Amino acid sequence: MKKTYSLLLLLAGFLLIQSCQEKTAYRALIITGQSNHNWKASATILKTILDQTKLFTTDIAQTPKEGGDMSTFHPDFSKYNVIVLDYNGDSWPEPTKKAFVEYVKNGGGVVSYHEADNSFPDWKEYNEMTGLGGWNHRSEKDGPYVYYSKNVLVIDTAKGSGGSHGPQHEYLVRARKADHPILKGLPVAWLHGKDELYSTLRGPAKNMEILATAYADTAKRGTGRDEPMLMTITYGKGRIFHTAMGHVGKEDTHAATECVGFIVTFQRGTEWAACGNVTQPIPIDFPNVACSVSRPDYKEVTLSDDLDKIAKYSIDKSTRNYTDLQARIRKVSGNPAALLDLEKQMVSILKETGATVDGKKLILRELAWMGSDYCIPAVQELLKDADLKDAAAFTLERMKGPRKI
Amino acid sequence: MTTNSNRRTFLKNSAVASVGTLILPQIIPSTALGMGGRLAPSNRLVLGAIGTGSQGRSNMGDFLKLNKEVQFVALCDVDTNNAQKAKAIADAAYANNDCKVYGDYREFLEKEKLDAVAIALPDHWHGIIYTAAVEKKLNVYGEKPICRTIRDGQTIVKAVQKNKITWQTGSWQRSRPNFHRGAELVLNGRIGKIQRIEVGLPNGNKGIGTPPVQEVPKELNWDMWLGPAPKVAYRGVSHWNWRWILDYSGGQLTDWAGHHIDIANWGAGLEHTGPVEIAGEGVYPREGIYNVPVEYDFLCKYANGIEMRVCNAARLEKGMGTTWYGDKGWIHVDRGEVLMASDPKILEEVIGEKEIHLIKSDNHWQNFVDCVRSGEKTIAPIEVSYRAISVALLGEIAMQTGQKIQWDPEKEEIIGNPMAARLLDRPYRQPWQLPTI
Repeated sequence: MKKTYSLLLLLAGFLLIQSCQEKTAYRALIITGQSNHNWKASATILKTILDQTKLFTTDIAQTPKEGGDMSTFHPDFSKYNVIVLDYNGDSWPEPTKKAFVEYVKNGGGVVSYHEADNSFPDWKEYNEMTGLGGWNHRSEKDGPYVYYSKNVLVIDTAKGSGGSHGPQHEYLVRARKADHPILKGLPVAWLHGKDELYSTLRGPAKNMEILATAYADTAKRGTGRDEPMLMTITYGKGRIFHTAMGHVGKEDTHAATECVGFIVTFQRGTEWAACGNVTQPIPIDFPNVACSVSRPDYKEVTLSDDLDKIAKYSIDKSTRNYTDLQARIRKVSGNPAALLDLEKQMVSILKETGATVDGKKLILRELAWMGSDYCIPAVQELLKDADLKDAAAFTLERMKGPRKI
Repeated sequence: MTTNSNRRTFLKNSAVASVGTLILPQIIPSTALGMGGRLAPSNRLVLGAIGTGSQGRSNMGDFLKLNKEVQFVALCDVDTNNAQKAKAIADAAYANNDCKVYGDYREFLEKEKLDAVAIALPDHWHGIIYTAAVEKKLNVYGEKPICRTIRDGQTIVKAVQKNKITWQTGSWQRSRPNFHRGAELVLNGRIGKIQRIEVGLPNGNKGIGTPPVQEVPKELNWDMWLGPAPKVAYRGVSHWNWRWILDYSGGQLTDWAGHHIDIANWGAGLEHTGPVEIAGEGVYPREGIYNVPVEYDFLCKYANGIEMRVCNAARLEKGMGTTWYGDKGWIHVDRGEVLMASDPKILEEVIGEKEIHLIKSDNHWQNFVDCVRSGEKTIAPIEVSYRAISVALLGEIAMQTGQKIQWDPEKEEIIGNPMAARLLDRPYRQPWQLPTI
């Protein structure tokens, strides 16, 4: 992925890795360089995710190493529409902190990603921006615990440390503000890929809205509360999107950030932080309550990906591309032109000699209800195929409409 | 007297009657005496069963509890394990070894001389076997939902009406006092004019992924189990878990339609009609062989303005069960004897003599036997069961197509959408056919 960085600039003691891409709507800056997490991997992942939208040109600013001369760290925030925080480390120098606060107050966008809410426990303004934080000696002095319990928002001033999580696991994320631009059009709940479930976060929680929560199951050493996962905060004129999800550790695979739920909410949240609006369409592969969906290469699955996989399908393989196709059909079923276009591509699989019998059966099953006259010759042809004649007959019969009684 | 000879009494009597002899034995088959196919009160109902999995055996147990009213004589299952378990129950009840076992329903229906049959099969078999049993003029206790498709349902209804047999659907909630009382209060206007109804049903099964193809267990006739459904390899999913695969079922939605949607219709007076518009959304698994919606939410509009929302219970304030909302309050019913109202005083209301009194039944299986004897309508006749499952099947079509469906509840046709209309029926695998009535 590093090859996508076209330009490396050593600038005033910290690294600014700048993208050189076509002009996009927004510029984003990811700040990283110190963390108790695998920031080298995560910053690259976040950049990949944002660049996928074609809305952002994303740079990465890397601070000096832990214990290094932080006075050299002073990125020009004003060049960016949104600053993405992937950082948990040494304090920034005062002028940089001041510039950051001014940037946000004046309407700059911020995204607090996962461990960024661990950072800077003593920086008051920063904690007001993130709303809630954890670890680094956070306690009742930093603000209340905030969570949902039995569908009621709880502001809990009990004493105790802030920040905890049990072992990583898949969990259900539930929308609390489904009409917020970031969540609008997404399922009201979906299964998130294996991740840490941040709990017992506490902080000032001023001007904060909780968009989504996750139930921290006591069976997974959780709190038994619905913990905030996605939040928005306003600070001055600035907009902050806070996602507690997306843990990236030392492992080679990163289920949390590969999760389509994480990717899409991160993309949408970053756009909202940049401009207060979200224009991105909902992808076909968004997960639901039944199962999480992963994009190991961070790319949205396309129709041709789906059709390619269906053409190679055998009954012991994943049905994901088939269910994607069904969702695509459902999405355009009221639009005859779009449906016909889809049908033509499906029929081309029926004609493909290299396509599998099982793959063709899936296509036939869908054509049975949504196919038009266009597919009939290709389906009839399959009546001659011993392995497919039953499936083809099913399709042709269903296409005739209900039997007479 | 052995059960066999007992069972044969009915047969013998029929034979005697049919040759026209005037010397009639003591126990007279009602058919012979021109009682309209009704069972004489002195006779035991000679009963058999098709489908003896968990629900089939549960029904058997309920019928056997009726003791001397019923003589259970034969059963049929495509799984010899299930069949033997069921035979053991019957034989234990009679302390003999007489219960006959079949593996093919056609042979069972041909050879056994029965008054009635209790049928508990996966939904994809309902169309064929319900119709076949009814065409044999057997009285049927049939499990809900009564059909997998609207077309199957229409066929079964027509067959029942033509053959004038007694039909009871296993919608046993109708025989529970809280549901009966709730429906009767609503029907008599105790919450005013009904505006909307909410029906909360369980969530679907989230799946088992894609289990490997396995050898079919020797006790199971897999090809017969599949019957009219598409031929697929066996992956260890048959009994019980067929519920999660669209070829055999519509999931919890269609399973529970015969309970809470049925009750909703009962109270709202919608038992003999259907919605005119249906739209909604299903949440489908993205992976694996289970493909029924795990969550679902659709809205049905009726010609009289009532709206019925059907969804997984978690989406509703009142959760599982049926809630009728009228302009003067609401009533909510659910299992566990739940009966609640916006004002508890509503529940104390007395239904006057001249008001509507719903048929009362305290025991769903007894009600069936009683109605076989009397010729009266059961508490869950075929027509209302067909209307209950129709709501779910139309919801299923709306969700699968992603479209708003217009339905003509009189002609029972989808209007102006031939693509969606294809889903009113499912082609059968050869050589299976849905009979023409």
